[in-house]
Amino acid sequence: MEKRRIVQELAAIVGPEWVISDPDELTVYECDGMTYLEKAMPDVVVLPDNTEQVVAVVKLCGREQLPFLPRGAGTGLSGGAIAVAGGVIIGLNRMNRILEIDIPNQRAIVEPGLVNLALTQAIQDHGHYFAPDPASQAASSIGGNVAENAGGPHCLKYGTTTTHILGLEVVLASGAIVPIGGKTLDCPGYDLTGLFTGSEGTLGIATKVIVRLLPHAEAVKTLLASFHAIDAASEAVSEIIATGIIPSALEMMDRHIIRALEEWLHIGYPEGAGAVLLIELDGPAAEIEAQTKQIKQICDRCGALDLRIAKDEQERALLWRGRKGAVAAVGRITHEFYLQDGVVPRTTLPRVLREVEAIAERNALVIANVFHAGDGNLHPLICFDSRREGELQGAIAAGAEIMRLCLSVGGSITGEHGIGMEKIDFIPLMYSPDDLEAMRRVRAAFDRSSRCNPGKLLPSSRSCSETTISYRPHRVERDGLAQRY
Amino acid sequence: MTSERLTGRLAEIVGADQVLATASCAAYAVDDHVPKAIVFPGDAQELSKVMKCASSERLSVVPWGNGTQIGLGGIPARIDLVVGLKRLARIIDHKPGDLTATVEAGMLLREVQASLRPSGQFLPFDPIGYERATIGGILATNASGPWRQRYGTARDLVIGIRIVHADGTITKGGAKVVKNVSGYDINKLYVGSLGTLGIILEATFRLYPLPAVEHTWIALFPTGEPAACAVAQILHSTIVCTRVELLSSVAAQPVGRQAGCAFPEGTVAVAVSVGSVPEAVDAQIAAIGKLCRREGAVAGFLVEGSAQDSLWSAICNFSSASTDGRPWATLKASVLPTHVVDTIDHAETLARNIGLRSAAISEAACGIVRLYWRGAPGVTEPDLISIAKGIDELRHWVVRHGGSLIILSAPSAIKAAVDVWGPVGAALTLMRELKQQFDPFGCLSPGRFVGGI
Repeated sequence: MEKRRIVQELAAIVGPEWVISDPDELTVYECDGMTYLEKAMPDVVVLPDNTEQVVAVVKLCGREQLPFLPRGAGTGLSGGAIAVAGGVIIGLNRMNRILEIDIPNQRAIVEPGLVNLALTQAIQDHGHYFAPDPASQAASSIGGNVAENAGGPHCLKYGTTTTHILGLEVVLASGAIVPIGGKTLDCPGYDLTGLFTGSEGTLGIATKVIVRLLPHAEAVKTLLASFHAIDAASEAVSEIIATGIIPSALEMMDRHIIRALEEWLHIGYPEGAGAVLLIELDGPAAEIEAQTKQIKQICDRCGALDLRIAKDEQERALLWRGRKGAVAAVGRITHEFYLQDGVVPRTTLPRVLREVEAIAERNALVIANVFHAGDGNLHPLICFDSRREGELQGAIAAGAEIMRLCLSVGGSITGEHGIGMEKIDFIPLMYSPDDLEAMRRVRAAFDRSSRCNPGKLLPSSRSCSETTISYRPHRVERDGLAQRY
Repeated sequence: MTSERLTGRLAEIVGADQVLATASCAAYAVDDHVPKAIVFPGDAQELSKVMKCASSERLSVVPWGNGTQIGLGGIPARIDLVVGLKRLARIIDHKPGDLTATVEAGMLLREVQASLRPSGQFLPFDPIGYERATIGGILATNASGPWRQRYGTARDLVIGIRIVHADGTITKGGAKVVKNVSGYDINKLYVGSLGTLGIILEATFRLYPLPAVEHTWIALFPTGEPAACAVAQILHSTIVCTRVELLSSVAAQPVGRQAGCAFPEGTVAVAVSVGSVPEAVDAQIAAIGKLCRREGAVAGFLVEGSAQDSLWSAICNFSSASTDGRPWATLKASVLPTHVVDTIDHAETLARNIGLRSAAISEAACGIVRLYWRGAPGVTEPDLISIAKGIDELRHWVVRHGGSLIILSAPSAIKAAVDVWGPVGAALTLMRELKQQFDPFGCLSPGRFVGGI
């Protein structure tokens, strides 16, 4: 049998214990953190230990004309790590070594399978950390963060993953090992590192990642401001930014989230709160002091019901607990939900949120909002119950309407989750056929064969037909075990 | 196509008064290669038509902002047409509440800043010659200056872009929002591509609020070593700096003269700016002063207001600040921060060996070192081949230490003898593949980029 022969060859490369071909075991790999789409089974999963093995596997795929894709921890939210065309999943979890920590130059070189938080833990005694902090940081891999250009609450001030990636070693579909970028800045030539970051595994497989490390700030202050309504909270957001303050995080939650959190965690939000803002400042102590005063005045002016300032690390953790538990809390009040990810210019937030509310009403659904207000990154949670006829379709239709709404104000259909499979049919709403053609040229330059993670990020032709996608939330998500934002 | 026919075709697109030919073209020569015509399109459509015309005739095209960085790049393989972007010089959109602005490529940075200032915002670019630089030129050359310490470079500031391709097609990348992962981050591809993939038409930027107060501390050190230690200490502290500059003793003298502060001969200067609320500026400047003294600074002083402006202007416009000796080459080394002083010392030794003086201005915490090689007073002028050899030798040293070295500007004869960009390794194949995809006929700035792209 053809498959058996290939499995044997793969086993010869990585060792038989690192090849998965049993259908039962493969079900773990049939989806990633996003199961809104149909699942798809890879033919085989292989777990290489080093770059040379990755090259050998990729070359084998080339010879056999098999599609392949890299996979980290599988926490991605747009279906980027699903083997939609079958073929070989190259799992990078074993390649999780820290190769070099260079504190004097504030750099580290790591393998792609290293878990995000593990890097910060390894360097915290040196007073440094790795800045990208997606919600999945305790589980997601740095290679996955590179593939998705992962964000997180603190990228408002410190930038998304791409800001912190200086160089890569990549294995192309041809099997060539290409070092791009480097430990130093401004490497001559095109910025391939910047181009590769966020390419969702479609340009090749990163086997080494050179990252920037940041020193800890002198002081951190976390504030929680409560408002009657979203409008007042949005106004406060605009005023904070207009004053010239760039908080390290500026997160908002609406009345649905507040209610769900109160029922579950009893955070103690003030009576009548229709929106809460979580504001975090970091930097020199004197600067934080001054900014806290300014924020107090702004919140007063915008009619805040309450402003709570964390006195210590314990209270800070409590304030964050609500924000971090927000998505899971919604999981408790609805049978299922569809998590959207869109971006709008900050100043349009009040208008856009009113529109989202109208979309919810039109589709007879509840849409809860928890989002990175500082950079206009919305995460509407569209609640539905697929057992009731038409609700699933309504949720999907509402998601599409929200994407169109984001585009109509000059925004984007995804701020941090990526296009993947989920939005491949929506990207033509944002970019013209010519714009997409330029992206196709990029892909062709890296992989003429289109065997590297096919069916992701770019629709395969110039057609821009929308297909109906079916939505199914993940088991762990339904059970409140995992959260998405 | 003859020059006359070409200018005729172009005049049909943009009007006869926006086309220059024959004698006037000499002012737009690139490395002594004089183009056949210069054309100044008035809008995106005209630029698109110009490119369509040029590509149908397989003409080679070099975009031109204000020419401040035209020295960067290899000697062009051919140059038929220069496309001047000075008429594409508007702010298309500025949303103060969103801290974003969309600007046409030909607009002068100076004018962008002037129009943002009333909103208390700015676009944090301060590259060499920033007073005359255009937005498109800064992006195409990936030019940067001291502010990169706090605000990063073009790759960090561009959130959207519009490009006119070789065949005249116009495409966009990104959006008007600061966070966006829809499709490839194609903005990064165009930034620093030196007009070899397309012509930048406009870009959308994330802006920053002007700090309430900004002060600069200058510390003088007897040698580079303690200066570098001070920089490293600052970098690893909780102090948040907007600019950290290290000036070699050769550079410190003329900068000090121009800025109206006399630095004693032979001292190495470190200039550190902090921008924030007044209390935080005072506290951090005091901490910097103390730290520098502890590391062996022989003098230190605070600079603010117009004196601060002239100091940083002298640093960013160093080539015009220094008048001693003839300028031969300006180089940019990118090294690890821990190698900055060794790079400066090594460059000084190599330059001295060929009868030149090497002045270094460095964004030391970023590992960026700009080297100005000039004639030394009273020394016979060296021949160009020796200078080229000196550059090559320095590059070998830098590359061996994990960095890179490019020539920012030099006479053509030097560029003919030593590669402007240096090696880029196995990535060159990918870069050639990208060039082939975006400009299959090699019409866009041929020969000016890495590996002869």
